[in-house]
Amino acid sequence: MPLLGTGTRILLFHKWRFTVASCAIAVAVTIMFTEMGFFFGILDSQTNITGLVNGDLVVMHRTRTHLNKWDSLERIRLQQIQALPGVKEVLPIYSGGIALTNPKTGKTTRIIGFAFPPDSMPLKLGQTDIAIRQLKQSHTVLFDRESRSIYGDIKTGQQIELDGIQYRVGGFISMGPNIINDGAVVMSDGNWFRDRRSNKPIMGIIRLKNKSNTHQIKEKIHEIFNRELLVFTPDDLRQRELHYTIKAAPIGIIFGIGMLAGLVIGISICYQVLFTTISDNTRQFATLKAIGFSNFYLLKIILEQAILLSFFGFFIGFFITSQIYDIIGTQTALIMQLTSARSIFILLLTCIMCVLAGLIAMRKVIRMEPAELF
Amino acid sequence: MGATNIKQENFEAINKNASIAVEALDVDYTYGSGSAQRQVLTGNNFTLNASEIVVMTGPSGSGKTTLLTLIGALRAIQGGSIQVLGQSLSGLSSKQRQQLRKNIGFIFQDHNLFESMTARQTLALAMQLFRDRYTTDDKINRPLEMLETLGLGERIESQPGNLSTGQKQRVAIGRALINNPKLILADEPTAALDKGSGQKVMELLRLRAEKDQASILIVTHDQRILEFADRIIEMMDGRIINATC
Repeated sequence: MPLLGTGTRILLFHKWRFTVASCAIAVAVTIMFTEMGFFFGILDSQTNITGLVNGDLVVMHRTRTHLNKWDSLERIRLQQIQALPGVKEVLPIYSGGIALTNPKTGKTTRIIGFAFPPDSMPLKLGQTDIAIRQLKQSHTVLFDRESRSIYGDIKTGQQIELDGIQYRVGGFISMGPNIINDGAVVMSDGNWFRDRRSNKPIMGIIRLKNKSNTHQIKEKIHEIFNRELLVFTPDDLRQRELHYTIKAAPIGIIFGIGMLAGLVIGISICYQVLFTTISDNTRQFATLKAIGFSNFYLLKIILEQAILLSFFGFFIGFFITSQIYDIIGTQTALIMQLTSARSIFILLLTCIMCVLAGLIAMRKVIRMEPAELF
Repeated sequence: MGATNIKQENFEAINKNASIAVEALDVDYTYGSGSAQRQVLTGNNFTLNASEIVVMTGPSGSGKTTLLTLIGALRAIQGGSIQVLGQSLSGLSSKQRQQLRKNIGFIFQDHNLFESMTARQTLALAMQLFRDRYTTDDKINRPLEMLETLGLGERIESQPGNLSTGQKQRVAIGRALINNPKLILADEPTAALDKGSGQKVMELLRLRAEKDQASILIVTHDQRILEFADRIIEMMDGRIINATC
């Protein structure tokens, strides 16, 4: 059995042309990857906090339609929920916008503050025990190391000003910004109450006792408090935030059109390459038809070329994309991830793109009249 | 061979008892339609027997190539009937004609080889027409044997860019013969060849006709190859006007 098929041999015969064609298809692949990267980057960033929940359920005021809305709930509701059978504890999280002034630069920018009882750890923020101890100290905050660089170079022990009040940076946590919030600081609820007016939490993290049925308790809370509160599992909350983000902001349409543009560009490029290959071998293809090869066999030759171009174009585009994602991630702090599922999706799209181009190019072969060879 | 003028109406008497590869009766063909219609073949009768080499000659536009393409099932029949290897071509679909053509060896004036394929790969590709017929050993050895027979034993892995015109045409002939067709149709097979190469090509075809009982129809203007013909058919204005043994 030959190692290479007829289509592969024809395509690889002109190595330089093949390389250029693969690179051109890689451009289309990169466009699709980048558009998808931005789309998921925004979604992942907006829903990031749902993945940090260190509990079984999340409760919020029902008017808090998305996570960047700061509607708070009554503290007593958390205590009432804690009294329900099966509930182990309910941890409050306080949050709001804060003006951060970097004393070195004098620049003031908005940052999101989160506060909770230091030992409760309602969010998984990658903090160390030392950092937790720091959190208990007065006028001490932990800074999100993944915040955007607009806050300057923040170091442990540095003094920063939050709403005009001096704080010391006691250490770092990992949270990540989104498209609205550029960074975050975390402090104890004691520091929060002392320096701010509102003592109403924006959400409560519910931890259940062992062997409690999450769904049943969720339904119970909903039954009692549905006029005022909403309760979610972390996954439900993520889905709700995804749907809100896609619906409220036209990012789906914007980046979807971008991906479609990449797809169309890829089809055009691949079609041109295959069309040129067929044109350069018109008499040869017509000869194959004359001697008895079917259109289906010739289609297999064309599709073999299309798939080869798609694979080479994909891998070159994948490499370029990884570099672009690194740059975008570093510059914008958006979560740009090249996951296996997304990569396979783009690979499939690339193959479909090139196969479509091959099917269109095949019309030239079908129209060939082998009798014209004589 | 003695040259005897045979009238067209006596075709059926010739070699009546030999097996017949091609039988054409009252074949007409017209190009175009309406006012642009042009009749290129009129009432042609033709028979090609097993092991026979027939050369068809005539001026350009006489219809010989059109008749060749009809016999080769490359065009659908319009008027008359043609039987090829026992199969009537009347009413065949495009797909059925394509299937029939697998059993015919075609030799074109231009070799039409893929530049990217070696001589061996070209012949191996042609064998794909009858993939199920060949063992794995056949698929490896048969192209090599054919190329050796064609005097290309040292050019097996050469691509067309490294072959002379004569060598390329021999590869093309190998492609036509690799599946042992009982009918071979050739259009100006020696036009681009020098005397020596043309002679070799015709000797190969003669050998195939004698050894494998293949029937060979050659359309040509090349006077050099007439000596190889069992019969010479002359066409003019869409009709067979003369047949010479």
